[in-house]
Amino acid sequence: MKRITRRGFLKTGIAGAGMMAIPPAMASVALSVQEQNVVYRTLGKTGIKVPVISFGVMRSDNPGLCKAAHEKGIKLFDTANGYMNGNNELMLGNLFRGIKRDSFFLATKVKPERASDGSPNDQTSAQKFLEMFNTSLSRLQMDYVDILYVHDVSNPELITYKPLINAVLNIKKEGKAKFIGFSTHKNEPAMINAAADSDIWDVILTQYNYRQAYVAEMNTAIKKAGAAGIGIVAMKTLAGGGFLDRERTKPMNTTAAIKWVLSNPDVSTVIPGMTSFDQLDLNAKILTDISLTDKEKQDLIAASSEPGLLCSGCQQCLAECPFNLPVPDFMRAYMYAYGYSMPSMAQDLLGELGIKENPCSQCETCKVRCSRNFDLKEKITDISRLVNIPDDFLA
Amino acid sequence: MLTGTLLCFISIFSVAQEIVFPELDGFKKNTDKYPVYSPENLWDFINGAADGYLALGFMDLHVAEYKKGKAVIKAEIYHHSSHTMAFGIYAAERSPSYRFVNLGAQGYVTGGVINFFKGPYYVKIRTYSEKPKILQSEESLARMITSMLTGEEVMPPVLSEFPAEGRKVNEETFINESVLGHQFLNKAFKASFVTGSDNFSIYLFDYKTPQEAFRSAEEYLASAKIEANQSDAGKYIFTDGYNGTIFLSWKDKKMVVITGLAKDQADIADKYTSAILE
Repeated sequence: MKRITRRGFLKTGIAGAGMMAIPPAMASVALSVQEQNVVYRTLGKTGIKVPVISFGVMRSDNPGLCKAAHEKGIKLFDTANGYMNGNNELMLGNLFRGIKRDSFFLATKVKPERASDGSPNDQTSAQKFLEMFNTSLSRLQMDYVDILYVHDVSNPELITYKPLINAVLNIKKEGKAKFIGFSTHKNEPAMINAAADSDIWDVILTQYNYRQAYVAEMNTAIKKAGAAGIGIVAMKTLAGGGFLDRERTKPMNTTAAIKWVLSNPDVSTVIPGMTSFDQLDLNAKILTDISLTDKEKQDLIAASSEPGLLCSGCQQCLAECPFNLPVPDFMRAYMYAYGYSMPSMAQDLLGELGIKENPCSQCETCKVRCSRNFDLKEKITDISRLVNIPDDFLA
Repeated sequence: MLTGTLLCFISIFSVAQEIVFPELDGFKKNTDKYPVYSPENLWDFINGAADGYLALGFMDLHVAEYKKGKAVIKAEIYHHSSHTMAFGIYAAERSPSYRFVNLGAQGYVTGGVINFFKGPYYVKIRTYSEKPKILQSEESLARMITSMLTGEEVMPPVLSEFPAEGRKVNEETFINESVLGHQFLNKAFKASFVTGSDNFSIYLFDYKTPQEAFRSAEEYLASAKIEANQSDAGKYIFTDGYNGTIFLSWKDKKMVVITGLAKDQADIADKYTSAILE
């Protein structure tokens, strides 16, 4: 085994030093050319113009990635008070300390306590919200953020809760947040419609993707919000990940998924989470070209037919099964087992349904139509095997 | 095929520890309010923060609430795929300024929050109450949960391979994917150092075989258009267009990357590299 010596390290180093991956000077020239062609959209009544691609900063281990994104023309960076227990905001604060404040937009989110149905309760404290927001500002080393979101809103009662509204309006009045909004990824159409009916909110950060079961309602709500002057920022544009299946064997065309979201003119920008320079490069291409190619359209159509795991609960199947099987319950058991990793819970549910053997064994083919295109016979046959497995073998 | 799927599924999940939250004297325990979260729906609970957990082998999450009058203590037990992964997510949310306590492998207390990790579990306990009695109950709960969970109560042994000189205490982390933003660099322990006015970071990759270490080094060098001329060991300085000057070295099954130092600080890089690899 050759011993590594200091001499060897330096000698090799001199040879290697002349060979750079991407000379920074060359990179800058290339980037300035790209910036001229970046597609910008106005974020509703805020009036600010944002590139169509923004950055959902989920991890804090690589400030170099955020810096590179900024150099590629991405302006809006999205974080939250709770991400990485505040280390995410700390990282961004250290990064942007040396960068001109008007060259980027910073959005953060603060999550007030609430009841399990999303409504305000006795734990919902405006004072606590303000304290958390001030902590965020301190971590970010900034006098203001461009957008402050109330984090994770799913019940209209929370965005009409006076103490909370007064708190965010006060923050805006003091100039600590230029604009205020909320983020939502459950019950989104109702939340967006409720916001459009009030004149409080400037921006909504919402889940929006081509695989949403209620995309028609989303389109209507987003249009209404757009007409009301509310800026729409889209998240979860990849429908929960870059793969179409549980086994992660079917990669999604992520560029197509993002472009689909941007094909809605009322969506100003998207915030994909990026963890590598390869992802950044891929998304940076969309900065200058948001048109869907024929191939991308075909990929979206193909992906739309992939069923995933979640039963939509439409109950269309109930009337079609000759044995009156509670098909949605079987799909729920399947979801417990394969989605929640809880086979014992699935087994309990099958027990409650009185299942003792495969109920589909009497039918050669299944005539029940599923609105999600699930192969019902295969799934029910698969999950029914659990009833014969001793408890000790299940977690 | 179906049989195969199911058997595989059973063998994987039968090893998980059953989580039964302990009773807390004077509090009403509620575990029905939340489902057991899986990778598919962790977003529903912690929103965008889920990405960081998923990148570190998140498997499931059990949540319980303890209520006494208006005071609420919430306990969350995140199950990750290994002790290293649990350390990774714990360390990602840790700050050296916290008050560290002897809980599990390591834990800390800060403003109504008690977080610790043990074995493959990362535990987060929180209350908004500032009453001393509630805070005492919270600490009791933390100790009961520590006792209940199985797993190693030590820090990952690899951390001891970082030199002590200049090392910033309690800033070590583990990055599972896309180290330094490169998809071909995975599974590194990172430690931060200060020497004089210089701050730098060391990434330590501990592979299973020397071949893996070499392949990784070779790929990184190739991205800088450098050809590795030996497989058993090597040391290179080069510029990564995104991360600046890189000191890369490998020997046997370990690879070390140092960032944050200038090219003319090779002597510092060399000293630390040798301390790890020799």
